[in-house]
Amino acid sequence: MSTPLILLPGDEVPSSHLPSTKSNPLKLGSGVRLLSQPSAKPAASNHILTATQAGILATDAKRNTVSLQSFSNRRYIPTTNDLVIAQVHHSSIDYFHCIVTPHTAQALLGQLSFEGATKKTRPMLKGGDLVYARVSSVGVGAGAEVEITCVNPATGKAEPGGLGPLTGGMVFDISTGFSARLIRASSSSADHGDAIDGLVVLAELGKKLESLGGFEIAVGRNGKVWIDCSAAGENAIKSTIAVGRCLQTTDDKDLNAMDQKKLVASIDKGTDDVSSLRWARNIAVLAPLSIPSPAQYPLENSGNRKLADLRPRSKAGIFPPFWRSLASCSLP
Amino acid sequence: MVGPTASLSNLSRSDGSASYKCPATGYDVLGAVNAPIELPARRDALKPEEATVEVFVKPGNTTAGVGERHVEGILRNVLSKVVLGRERGFPRRGVVITLGIVGGETVDRGDSYLTILPALLHTSLLALLSAAVPLSMTFSATLMGVDKSGAIITDLSAADAKAAASLHVLAFTSKNHLLLNESEGRFDFDTWEQVRERALSICQDMTTPGPDGDVTMGEEADGSRPEGFVRETVEDRLYKDYSWKIDSI
Repeated sequence: MSTPLILLPGDEVPSSHLPSTKSNPLKLGSGVRLLSQPSAKPAASNHILTATQAGILATDAKRNTVSLQSFSNRRYIPTTNDLVIAQVHHSSIDYFHCIVTPHTAQALLGQLSFEGATKKTRPMLKGGDLVYARVSSVGVGAGAEVEITCVNPATGKAEPGGLGPLTGGMVFDISTGFSARLIRASSSSADHGDAIDGLVVLAELGKKLESLGGFEIAVGRNGKVWIDCSAAGENAIKSTIAVGRCLQTTDDKDLNAMDQKKLVASIDKGTDDVSSLRWARNIAVLAPLSIPSPAQYPLENSGNRKLADLRPRSKAGIFPPFWRSLASCSLP
Repeated sequence: MVGPTASLSNLSRSDGSASYKCPATGYDVLGAVNAPIELPARRDALKPEEATVEVFVKPGNTTAGVGERHVEGILRNVLSKVVLGRERGFPRRGVVITLGIVGGETVDRGDSYLTILPALLHTSLLALLSAAVPLSMTFSATLMGVDKSGAIITDLSAADAKAAASLHVLAFTSKNHLLLNESEGRFDFDTWEQVRERALSICQDMTTPGPDGDVTMGEEADGSRPEGFVRETVEDRLYKDYSWKIDSI
């Protein structure tokens, strides 16, 4: 693939760019539609695909899909099976009313839609608590209620792993495009260690914070990322904020793999003031605006431990190993 | 001639936004699009299977008046023809476009609103693209004037427009359909036909991509023509947003 093909609404998708597999029917993702009838030449091509958004044409030969990747700062619109980080607003008899995106109707989370929840034993969530949940239905038409769930109703398990209340940690806002990238990257990082979608920041942070006990991360498609480094003891807050800042900077500044490595490398180097100032300066080069006082968040550098230490302590079996967002990525 | 300047996604809290500055008339318009959103009132009763397009035009220094209402109606008609309001998630919801006139001469009450119409159309197109609202096609618009001797003037300034015998705003889609025709003043059919041909050639050059997928660049290349600059603006922004992807290929 040489240069990316950028299409505007009304442009026809050239058939040379379509995946050529004939085994399963071509699936159209977002931004590509059949809008016009083919002209009276049946031999040339049987369909005319037209772009309906401005974006980069993306094809997947294996799954035989074609879609357009549009601008990444779009508002999150709930789609079934997306994983989201929601905040409980208030609780009623049957439901927790949760905020998925600001200024939109609240999503409903059943009081009993948690793993192992019964009427006697169910999580008592208060306003402000966070849950990692899956969108189970978005309803039909305008004004429909979005329902989210933390359990797979078929199995009664928290599938994909890690759904449920998020305790501790901190939530950072990122763009929806970046959260989709993070989910793709972390769900496939198990297979091959290469940078997926140009994202190495998570792997680098994992290596860096290995000695402190690693960190947990949950990525919501609604542009939220939850980070918890409570294993790091007294450095927990510093490292949590450092991870969050790294992700936000990568998002804001569109850092490439090299700059991401530099950014992560510039974090710690001891606890004395001199070196934390150095970190401040390094970050300032990369992110002149977004970090108010980075000197507050130096990280300690201690001995080496194995990658296995990145896996967080399993509390009550809820927590999955390392990345929380093992979930299957649902492409837009 | 200097081309118009535009940028995409300037505002962080709206779903899509664009700013556009027209060099000839000097108008500077900032547009924001929110879509699809729940409409507060029952404004969906007439066409329940489609999205409702709403347009608001805000002058920089006064409240919106009759002229703005008029131009809002024109814009709503044009834009609801290109917005695909039946895509998933759009029926019975709203596509709300807010256009703020942030620079240029004030359009006084009673003055012609045609001078600013192309700028408003281009801004709303760019903002719709930025919000990734599904559109059937793009369009480009141009303002033409006919002076008292019957000569056609393009690239009118505000003073030219005041002096002209008739003003015409024509918009063509990227497939060369005539999308909008607003004229005012005294003119005859032959003049209008000439104006249409001239406007089509202005809008058309850029709409037909060349055989290699590139936009054919005439002598007045590089975005001095409406459609070409839309494509350029979009490409610039996409290259920026997807630099992580494009660089790694």
